[in-house]
Amino acid sequence: MARQPGNPPKTPAIDPDAIRELAKLLDETGLSEIEIQRDGVSIRVARIADASGGRAQPAEGPLAPVPAALAAPAAVPVEPAQHPGLVASPMVGIAYLGPAPGARPFVEVGAQVKAGDTLIIIEAMKTMNQIPAPRSGTVNQILVENAQPVEYGEPLMIIE
Amino acid sequence: MFDKILIANRGEIALRVLRACKELGIRTVAVHSTADEDAMHVRLADESVCIGPPPAKDSYLNIPALLAACEITSADAVHPGYGFLSENARFAEILASHNVQFIGPRPEHIRLMGDKIAAKRAVKDLGIPTVLGSDGGLGSDQEAERLAREMGYPVMLKAAAGGGGRGMKVVRAQSELASALAIARTEAKAAFGDDTLYLEKYLERPRHIEIQVLGDGKGRAIHLGERDCSLQRRHQKVWEESPSPALNTAARDQICETVARAMREIKYLGVGTVEFLYEDGKFNFIEMNTRIQVEHPVTEMITDIDLVVEQIRVAGDNDLALEQSDVKFNGHAIECRINAENPVSFRPSPGKIVHYHPPGGLGVRIDSAVYHGYTIPPFYDSLVGKLIVHGKTRGECLMRLNRALDEFVVDGIETTLPLFRALAREAAIIDGDYHIHWLEEFLARGAAEQ
Repeated sequence: MARQPGNPPKTPAIDPDAIRELAKLLDETGLSEIEIQRDGVSIRVARIADASGGRAQPAEGPLAPVPAALAAPAAVPVEPAQHPGLVASPMVGIAYLGPAPGARPFVEVGAQVKAGDTLIIIEAMKTMNQIPAPRSGTVNQILVENAQPVEYGEPLMIIE
Repeated sequence: MFDKILIANRGEIALRVLRACKELGIRTVAVHSTADEDAMHVRLADESVCIGPPPAKDSYLNIPALLAACEITSADAVHPGYGFLSENARFAEILASHNVQFIGPRPEHIRLMGDKIAAKRAVKDLGIPTVLGSDGGLGSDQEAERLAREMGYPVMLKAAAGGGGRGMKVVRAQSELASALAIARTEAKAAFGDDTLYLEKYLERPRHIEIQVLGDGKGRAIHLGERDCSLQRRHQKVWEESPSPALNTAARDQICETVARAMREIKYLGVGTVEFLYEDGKFNFIEMNTRIQVEHPVTEMITDIDLVVEQIRVAGDNDLALEQSDVKFNGHAIECRINAENPVSFRPSPGKIVHYHPPGGLGVRIDSAVYHGYTIPPFYDSLVGKLIVHGKTRGECLMRLNRALDEFVVDGIETTLPLFRALAREAAIIDGDYHIHWLEEFLARGAAEQ
């Protein structure tokens, strides 16, 4: 950045309203990052996936980015494999979402399940294995399609 | 020929099988436990399926999981490697009933050679020389005592369901026999589920010499020479070489042809190894292994024949293109099995390999699944890799081995590389003058000097 010799660098005024507005936009749109540039000043607001504070993003303007601390924790995307509510496949086979072709699936997103309720069937060598819910809760995500081959440990559903 | 082979194994042999499949243009499925997600062969395979958690019984020995993996990938054949299910006749039969080809011998031959008593009887009828011993399982302690007295001590008690160096007990005098029988039975029952024992004369200083065979299942079979695997620790082979320094051409030709003829008679399918103890110019059959063996590269280096490719070919087409006259022996080869163990205490040393530099150059081959940055999991065997060296003569081979061992860097874990560096300089090894107890005597001497 060019400086006149002898002059100290001028720090632009921080506009908190602009930052709040951007953070709100971030939430509403579900974007993970917004950057605007105006009058030689750029502001970047980024959602940091790590809830414990995370790494700083490299700054491109004179202002460092502000973490979207106003974002609700539930909106933070988490790797299915690390999710505490994960139901992983205990076996190799073909996953079926319902008891028979054309039948209604055992559960849908949003369904309330009790521990032990059948979530999904995994077929291996012509035997149908009912996979029970390990805990009670709400089916948050279904991560496999009907008739999808699955391996041991494959993420099947998220129950919260 | 097969369209897709599922490799039901791990580590270096899985990589070995994958290489053969690729060269044959056959698609590959790598199955693995969660501990082997980063295995080299898993990375290189066309498809991979995680079949279970780390324990072998839940993954590599898990027949339902393996079958399900065959189903979802539409694999039309399974290569079992060595160990695990490679000599499990039931697994072979289950695969057959699901229209998946097992790459290996027919189940009846796996069963026959898996029962060490039946195997001995069968090969004896085929003209293969066997160790003097009981005719079948021991009925009573009195029978054991009588036989031992007739044969003369020392004798060896062996578990009928054992093999691979397990379930054996030496008895040096009559006074020890009764308790040895009791202990051996209990151990056999616990380890193999069967306490049947048989008795053999104990050979004091034999060499372990084994013959590699390959059959088409229709009555044609060839031999690919012998391997000398006398250097063993706790019945596990450590160093193998071919040709055996102990055999002359006449002895070699005779035993190899006897074995090949026997394999033709039983119409053996696939690769196999017939193992002998050789002492005072006589061969004594101990067992036959109905699978590809760890030390197969030694034979490949001197014959220039890819045994895994041939194994897949005879399983696929039942066609053995090779005739005995096609098998030519060139030079000498030595294999060193390098383990992740302390070279003195042999305590296992799993962990991350922070620096890996394998040797190279003419006549040097490494069969290993290890790579720079790889972590050796603690759940399986401790083999880091096999260093195989070939030379035009045994002398050249030993020089090359010394050179290769000096170049080999494996940092981050302990390995038995220092042991091999010492062995390659030992006079008895250089002279080829050793037997199956030599290595343990060498190690005991070294420990005494500490």
